[in-house]
Amino acid sequence: MNELELKKLWQTTNEKLEESFVINKKNTEDITRIKAHNLLGSMKPSKIFALLVGVLWVCIGGMSLSSIYLNSFSEANKFFLFSASIQVGLTAIALFIYIYQLITIFQLDITDPIIKTQEQLARLKITTLWVTRILFLQLPVWTTFWWNETMLTDWSILQWIVTLFFTLSFTFIAIWLFFNIKYENRKKRWFQLIFRGKEWTPLMKSMELLEQVAEYKEQNANT
Amino acid sequence: MVNQDRQKKIFEVVIEQHKGILFKVARAYCQNEEDRQDLIQEMMIQIWQSIHKYNDQYKISTWMYRISLNVAISFYRKSSKRTKIYTEMNEQTVDALIEDKSDKETHLNLLEQFISELKEIDKALMILYLEEKNHIEIAEILGISVSNVGTKIGRIKDKLKARFSQL
Repeated sequence: MNELELKKLWQTTNEKLEESFVINKKNTEDITRIKAHNLLGSMKPSKIFALLVGVLWVCIGGMSLSSIYLNSFSEANKFFLFSASIQVGLTAIALFIYIYQLITIFQLDITDPIIKTQEQLARLKITTLWVTRILFLQLPVWTTFWWNETMLTDWSILQWIVTLFFTLSFTFIAIWLFFNIKYENRKKRWFQLIFRGKEWTPLMKSMELLEQVAEYKEQNANT
Repeated sequence: MVNQDRQKKIFEVVIEQHKGILFKVARAYCQNEEDRQDLIQEMMIQIWQSIHKYNDQYKISTWMYRISLNVAISFYRKSSKRTKIYTEMNEQTVDALIEDKSDKETHLNLLEQFISELKEIDKALMILYLEEKNHIEIAEILGISVSNVGTKIGRIKDKLKARFSQL
């Protein structure tokens, strides 16, 4: 079968199928009742909830910590204060990236050419990697916020060894992941182990799509 | 209000006249009938929400292909499903197509399988090629150069030829 015959086959098949493809007028009307794209309306309730909790956490945490720094710094447990400050600071950065993503998605124009839109969408999705890297970076502070000055005087060597083992391991893992969770490592086994599962499928798909976009753009530059 | 009514009318006319584009794109990107209906619904919603942005420097079909292909390629990102809709497909028609259980059926199956195996953006190119869109229009829809369209189509044609020569 040659090229023209194939095209003809595709077109006649679709024509026949299209004849029975009915779009109900009432349902078309239903769509026209959908209000203009709304940022909050387009989000799932669980995401709105997570966003609110994050904002509250950062606001309340930020205010409480500021108050300690300003009013009772000398009496405060410094381990807790610095650990909590790092945690709240990193959460604020992750939140900022998340809000940036939402606004950019909202501003995306679906009527733009395919390569442009898909590249924007894929790149946006990949910024999720930044959120993951930052959240991993919080790991060590969860092992230090409960430290206090009595540890320095009362603890045995064994207690110190165990505690430092966890803190140093978490610090090493956090820093290693921070520098290694990136697009270029997407095919490595450890990467796929972290990002396996249904919720990460869109991220992995975005990476594949970005490869396709890059291929088309490279060809564009060469022609 | 007048503007809103006018937009509704334009939307209804556009959907009715170009429903074939939505149907063909959905058919190429979704194997499953239920997903296909969800996809068509999503395309229609995006068309409705973008209708005020239509720029008549492009043909309406170019604009429709851009939206429907962008939605179809991004469809895997959707996890939630909206309430069921609109499209009704008479399954007998599919059977009717297979009345002619001959070479045509084999070729059609092979063509559909070939399309389903293509990567997302190549699939878009293949649909536009089979629809006999000219290279300029394909370039406008995809956002690549006309010569790149020619190169890419050439490669897909070679793959297609290789697949059909195995018969």
